[in-house]
Order: sequence, then C-alpha cells, then structure tokens
Amino acid sequence: MFISFYRVLKFSFQDVYRNIWLSLVTVIILILALFTVNMLLIVKVIGDTAVDAIKEKIDINLFLNNDSEENEILALKAQIGGFSEVREVTYVSKSEALEKFKENHKDNPEILEALRELGKNPLTPTLVIKPNNLDEFDMLINRINSIDSDMIESRNFTNYKVLLDKINVITKKVTDAGLFLSSIFVFISILVVFNSIRISIYTHKREIAIMKLVGASNWFIQLPFLISGWFYTLIGVGFVMIVFYPFLTLLQPYLEAFFVGYNIDLVSYFYTNAFTIFGAEFMVAGFINMLASLLAVRKYSKV
Amino acid sequence: MIKFHNVIKLYPKGVKALNRINLHILPGEFVSIVGQSGTGKTTLVRTMIGEEKIDYGKIEIGGWDITSIRPSEIPVLRRQLGVIFQDFKLLPKKTLFENVAFAMQVCGGSPKKIKKIVPHVMKIVGLESKIHRYPQEVSGGEQQRAAIARALVHRPKILLADEPTGNLDSLNANEIIELLLRINKFGTTVILVTHNREIVNRLRRRVITIDNGMIISDQAVGKYVL
Repeated sequence: MFISFYRVLKFSFQDVYRNIWLSLVTVIILILALFTVNMLLIVKVIGDTAVDAIKEKIDINLFLNNDSEENEILALKAQIGGFSEVREVTYVSKSEALEKFKENHKDNPEILEALRELGKNPLTPTLVIKPNNLDEFDMLINRINSIDSDMIESRNFTNYKVLLDKINVITKKVTDAGLFLSSIFVFISILVVFNSIRISIYTHKREIAIMKLVGASNWFIQLPFLISGWFYTLIGVGFVMIVFYPFLTLLQPYLEAFFVGYNIDLVSYFYTNAFTIFGAEFMVAGFINMLASLLAVRKYSKV
Repeated sequence: MIKFHNVIKLYPKGVKALNRINLHILPGEFVSIVGQSGTGKTTLVRTMIGEEKIDYGKIEIGGWDITSIRPSEIPVLRRQLGVIFQDFKLLPKKTLFENVAFAMQVCGGSPKKIKKIVPHVMKIVGLESKIHRYPQEVSGGEQQRAAIARALVHRPKILLADEPTGNLDSLNANEIIELLLRINKFGTTVILVTHNREIVNRLRRRVITIDNGMIISDQAVGKYVL
C-alpha cells in the first residue's frame, strides 16, 4: 500500500516536471487568482475598519444654556437616556468643557491667549448623546428635535449617516469589482488546471495505455493527476504567502499615512489570521483544482 | 477456461463485429484465430480483456462471468491475462528491464519481488543479456520478446497474442512463435490472433476461422482456410 502510494507520488511529480512550462503557467494563474482574492480581503478590512472608526465617533451634541440648573440638566439627561435609540448620554459641565477645550488647543497659544483675555468661560454645558444603532439615527434626531425645553441652546446634528453610506457604497463597489475580477481568475484557473491535466494525460497516453493493459487499478492511474492539482495549489498558496507579507509591509506605511488616526494594521491582521485565511484558500483552491483535475481525468483517461 | 455463448457485438449503424460467437477454449490449449483484416478478430480479443462490452450473450474467463464486468474489476481480470500486440507497446525511455518491471510496479509489486521475477522472465524469453538496453537499441523480435516477458510477470493462465508477428520478418516471427509454443508447454493457454497463413499451417494446432464476425470453421488440427 505504502509502496503504491510512493509510486503514485513519484508519477505525480514526474508529471509536473515533464510538463514544467505548463505547470509554471498553471501556478502563475493560480497565484494571480489567490492574490486578487487577498486584495479583496484587504479592501474589506480597510472598509470595515473605517466604518467602525466613524461609527465610534458619531455623537449628537446638545448645547445647553449657561444658566441651566444642574438638577434640570440631569433630569433632561435621564429623559434622553431613556430613549430606546440612545446608547449613552454624557453630561459635560462648563468647567469640564473648558478643560477639554484647553487640552485640545494646548499647542495653539493664540487661542489660549484669546481665552485668557475673555476673562470668563465662554463654553456652555453639553449633553453628548451616542446612538444605539446607526439605522435609527434619523428617528433619534426627530425625537431630540421634539423635546421642548428652554435649556437647549443649539443642537449639532452633523449627518454622519451620509458619510457612512458613502463609505459603504465605495467599499461595496470595490468589493464587487474585486469579486468580479476574482471570479474571472478562478474561472481561468479552473480552465488552465483542466487543460494542464488534459495535456499531462496526453503526454502520458502511452504509459496510461500500458498501465491499463497490465492491470493497474483505476485509482493508481488517476490519482497522480489529482495529486498534481493539489501540488499546483500548494505551490500557489505557498508563493502567495511568501510574497504577500513583504507586499503588506510595503503597503502599510501608505495606508497609515492615508488613514491618519485609524488603527489599520494589515500585517498583524494577516499574521493573526494566517492559518484561517491561507488554510481556507488552500482548501477551497485545492478542492476546485481537484474537481477540475477529476473532470479532465474522467473525460480523457477512460478505463 | 474461455467460453463465449452466443456473443453479439454491434458497432454503430448496426454493423455486427461479432455475430453469434460460440466458443470453448480449454486450459492449456494453443488456439489460432485467423481471418482477414476487419473480420472481428481483434474485437474478440478486446471483449476478452474487458475493453469492449458485448451487446448480447455471455463471456466466461476461468469460470468468471465478465459479461457485465464493473470498471473496478477490469484490472483484476487483466492481471490474469497476458496480452501482447503487433506494436509491442514498450516505453521508449525505459530499458527492457524497466519496461517489464513497470508492469509490476503499477500493480503494487514490491521491489524485492520485482528483482526476483523480472530477471527470471527475461531469461525465459532469452533477453537476459540485454536487460539494460532501450527498445530502440534492440531488434523488433527482441522488443516483442520483452513485451511477452512483461505479459508473463503476473503469471497469467492465458496469453492473448494479437498479431504478434505483424511487424516482424519471418525469422523473428518464427522465433516468437517458438517462444509462444514453449510458454504453452508450461501450461499457459495461448490464443494467437493472426492472418499469417504460413505460421498457422505450420503450427498444426487448433484453428478458428472468423469471417464477417462469424466463426466459419473450428478445426482441432487446422489450416488457414480463407
């Protein structure tokens, strides 16, 4: 049994070696397909990170009158906190707002000087409201608008939803284009693997005929070609793994420069999920290649 | 050993390659199947090795009904039959030894067994001094001998020879026939498919004549009648 398996492996490597140029083309097409799939993954990771970061920054500021009483503010805070669309309400007092303002502008002496010349705290107390769910953002704004209170001086409702929608649309378009490109490469890979195996079978036609004649089992005749399919996948995935990390390392500084303030670390993402990503790619690509090989073997090496 | 019961094999457009063939070949017999080209001789061989399915009737090989043989059973059948052809079917990039060993390798033979059996069969066919030659370095007769050696490695009970002398001159052809007779003497049933009148007439063994897919003559000690 072991000796037969060893011989099947030997015949399989002979098959790859004897058609080395064809094998190279097959592996290159596979690499292109896998590279496109991984690029698609990068787009998804960047898109998700950007959307999450923006979601985290979304809040509604309710600026209150300077003379509002503390207990009235807390009552209003409790009222808004009771809304089902609200995740959290934070009360920022005048003095806290001033401290925060100073901290934010500590590098700008002109602003700090102007504040000192003013002689008093110009900031108002604020309620910072974080929405529960972005889909209910419009509903939350309507509810806040419906609050009839003299305390509310102004309401700051920057429409983040439009921004998020735009990011989602762009991410979706890029993902769709990537999916389309990946599908083309996957389809080409199937055709190329199918064709490689077909040509290998033709190259070995005489050997196959003799194997059949002397009573070699069907699996012994067919298995080397199926193993060749897996071998192409192994080389393809291995090459992508080797090339992809240096590629990500090169890409990382550009991403960091473009997405300032966002935590996008593709290298560590691909390191952490290497087993899942490349393992899944190996299994799926291997399965597809084996299927293509099986079709070719069934069609062209009938016993 | 080999039984054909009312066997019919149809080719497209209703052409009858084999037409109601009834045949019984006993163990240890040396049978020549003769007939002109295209009369169904090769089809007969192909049905025996499971390469062609018949449309009607029944074929038994060594008591095994192979009429509806499953694809997975064909290799088992072929290990019990040795087959040689006119074109030798040797691999040009392998030596004669490797060609013969190949038949054992692809059937799971251990290296130890291969080392023991291959030189033995090479000696039987008289090629012990040329085992490391490549097919193109030896004569046609020697190539056919190597093919016979390959057919013998599984110790078959039946040896099917489909026009084994078709590509050989008369001297080499005679040597091959002598070799087949010697193998037959060891107890192997030999079925020789040929249209070489001279060889058949000299053999003085059983001759089955086929014409238009039908057996038209079956003589215990026969001659080429067409």
